Amino acid sequence: MTLLPDPVSATTESAPALSVVGLTKRFGATLALDDASLSVRPSTVHALLGGNGSGKSTAIKVLAGVYEADAGRVHIAGRDHDLTSFKAADARAAGLRFVHQDLGLFEGLSIAENFAFDAGYPTRSGTAIRWSALHARVREVLDDYELDVDPRTPINELRPADRTMVAIARALQDTRAGDGPADGHGLILVLDEPTASLAQHESALLLGKIRRRAELGQTVVMVSHRMTEVLSVADDFTVFRDGRTVATLVDASPTEDELVELMAGRAVDALRPVDATQATTRARLVVQGLTGGPLRGVDLDAAQGEIVGVAGLVGSGRSTLLRMLFGDRRPDAGEVTLDGRPYRPRDVADAITAGVAYVPEDRAGEAAFPDLPVTDNLSVTRLRSYWGLRGMNRRREKATGGRLIEDFRVKSAGPAALFSSMSGGNQQKVVLARWLQRDPALLLLDEPTQGVDVMSRVDIYATIREAARRGSAVLVASSDVSELLALCDRIVILREGRADEELAADGLHPDVLTSKLLRSSSAQEER
Amino acid sequence: MSVSTDKQPVPGAGAETGPAATTHTVEPAYVPAEQRIPLLGLAERYALLLLTAGICLYFSVAPASSDVFASLSNVNVVLGGQTAVLMIAIAAVFPLVAGHIDFSLGATTAASMVLAAGLMSRHDVPLPVCVVACLAFGAVVGLANGVAVTAFGMNPFVTTLGVATLLGGGILWYTDGQTIFQGISPDLRIFGSSTVAGLPQVTAVVAVVALVAWYVLTHTPYGRSLYAIGSNHVAARLVGLRVGRNVLLAFVISGTIAGAAGVLQLSRTGSATSDSGTALLFPALAAVFLGATAIRPGFFNVVGTVIGALFVSFSVSGLTISGADTWVSPVFNGVALLVAVGLSTWLGARRRARG
Repeated sequence: MTLLPDPVSATTESAPALSVVGLTKRFGATLALDDASLSVRPSTVHALLGGNGSGKSTAIKVLAGVYEADAGRVHIAGRDHDLTSFKAADARAAGLRFVHQDLGLFEGLSIAENFAFDAGYPTRSGTAIRWSALHARVREVLDDYELDVDPRTPINELRPADRTMVAIARALQDTRAGDGPADGHGLILVLDEPTASLAQHESALLLGKIRRRAELGQTVVMVSHRMTEVLSVADDFTVFRDGRTVATLVDASPTEDELVELMAGRAVDALRPVDATQATTRARLVVQGLTGGPLRGVDLDAAQGEIVGVAGLVGSGRSTLLRMLFGDRRPDAGEVTLDGRPYRPRDVADAITAGVAYVPEDRAGEAAFPDLPVTDNLSVTRLRSYWGLRGMNRRREKATGGRLIEDFRVKSAGPAALFSSMSGGNQQKVVLARWLQRDPALLLLDEPTQGVDVMSRVDIYATIREAARRGSAVLVASSDVSELLALCDRIVILREGRADEELAADGLHPDVLTSKLLRSSSAQEER
Repeated sequence: MSVSTDKQPVPGAGAETGPAATTHTVEPAYVPAEQRIPLLGLAERYALLLLTAGICLYFSVAPASSDVFASLSNVNVVLGGQTAVLMIAIAAVFPLVAGHIDFSLGATTAASMVLAAGLMSRHDVPLPVCVVACLAFGAVVGLANGVAVTAFGMNPFVTTLGVATLLGGGILWYTDGQTIFQGISPDLRIFGSSTVAGLPQVTAVVAVVALVAWYVLTHTPYGRSLYAIGSNHVAARLVGLRVGRNVLLAFVISGTIAGAAGVLQLSRTGSATSDSGTALLFPALAAVFLGATAIRPGFFNVVGTVIGALFVSFSVSGLTISGADTWVSPVFNGVALLVAVGLSTWLGARRRARG
């Protein structure tokens, strides 16, 4: 967190690659951006941070020419632009390149074709496509970006991190057109939540590559919710809050808590674990020898009121374990008892009847009814209770919906608002409320705060603890070490298809947990 | 507007921002969508109904059609003539709500007609048995579609199109291209031509079917499940809805209604042709899609469907009475559908843009 004394940095700092000043944007009565500023040094990864509604997305959209600002200027590569009339074409001409969360790739088409849609097909005598020329050119670009794949590979056969990398390479491909270096120098790459849909090892792979691009001279602006990832890759940080730039950290290495505190504007005690566990001694869930898929005999138990973390590397079977307990996947072998009674759900409906609830990892794909109102999204787990002689009791349904929206601190336009109109954090609160209104005996959560902003995360953790207090046994599968430590009483590590190690979360250091997770074999030799 | 002055970033920890740090969690810039202006919402909901009323009013007053259009006998002709189309439209709503289209409904109705006529004229089967046979036939076709779609995961579009073609071929084989008109039960003919409270009796049957369909779709857990499945079938499975079973049932209900439509149609026409029922299906689908722009915009619904069907049939009747050629009817159907879809898309886009 110091200014760099050496002359090289001093010269680069005197001429930022991108600098935004006085950016103001209003939506009706709401001031989304209020005299915000941003200054990005060349050849660095610059993280733009802020909670929901902080204005960071709006700022990116202004730079992309999606919105017109009410006031503000941007200075890029020695040229000054007025942001009140900054169009998408201006952004492109100024050297800004955007890769959004939705990568905009054509899934079924090859990498080369995806490149060609942006830059055009090389043609022979006006019409026929010169495929070999296209493939050779794309091959070169891919090599530059450390992508060891054939240009003819369809996008949907690529691993997730490589898809994002292909989108980045495509966005920067026109630097190759001239004779200049193939490193995207001069262009500024803006990444909007690049890792939001990636699993942890995929995002680590991607961030490593982005880091190397920066070292080769690429300037990168990155918006992300995932604190730990931002910390691992960014040089500089700009924090937005309530539409204002509240902090700029140059060449800094702040802690996660410091950043969150800047974003939230208050101490983040709520994210820290509560010391008083609510676990009782009454065993609620007992799993013995559960086998199927990646699981090879998992033994696990959870008491009433206990929050048990399920940790493990990708492919360790965290999600499979939850899905089997939810009756969505039939185990090959194993015994499960719930409150002392044998529990063998034939299907999901059976599991729900037994008092089990499940919040899947993929909210948009597996939990959302996007075009239905919030009320319908809430009542879907207990439709029968609203049915009587006179049909569905819409009034009671709406009243319950309104009460849940209030209880779970959901910010929406009311029970009739569409599910898709809410932010990720509020959507997740609705999904949780959907299940918690049933007072489940066993609550299964898969990555409960994925794609959720820090502020909503605090609320969601409080909600989960409240559910435990009311007697639910909770299993939390998560790839986020700090989440496991913040939320759980006990953490079980899945390794080689078994519950290999069990740790009390109290007093456990994140680094210790991370290193234990990465260890491929059991840690018995330590003891 | 300030000129960029290369303002040096604040080098230092966040402590400098201390004073501002007292603000509490607020999400100021989040403006939720769907803040409907009530009046526009109402207009969107009832636009089709008002349009239907307006068109009826116009043809009742316009000199070219006024003396015939507004008469009870014309209303009877229109309603009676639309029996099968209305029934098929109501039938089509069920699978559509769950996200599947059923192209075999027209053929099911046509085949059911031929079946009823054939049973009566060639085998002297009593009427009640014929009615039961037709309902069962429709249910079996629906079951076949449903099993193909849910158990075997076959594409509903292609599957039901295949079934429709198959049924069309079956009709041709059974009738040998001839019209069956002999031996149709006189009771059925009488039922088809009699009126209740001044309106055709068959229309009363359609009204009852529509009422039951409306109740099932909007006022039972089953109907609500279908809407949830149509919205996201994976999420529906993971909240405990038995997706396969519910979709299968939707196809069976749909097929059964189409089977019943065959009997009603036979009671009106008194004969069964070798027609494959395509002429019945497309106006019905137009009504369903028109209906999705009304009452509950964006969702297939029974009330909207009925209004859609009435809109199209009264408009076409008015035009015909005013002396328009036969080609006007399909052209009108097509234009109405395109305008309705365009209008609802536009309204939807406006609603989203306000968010």
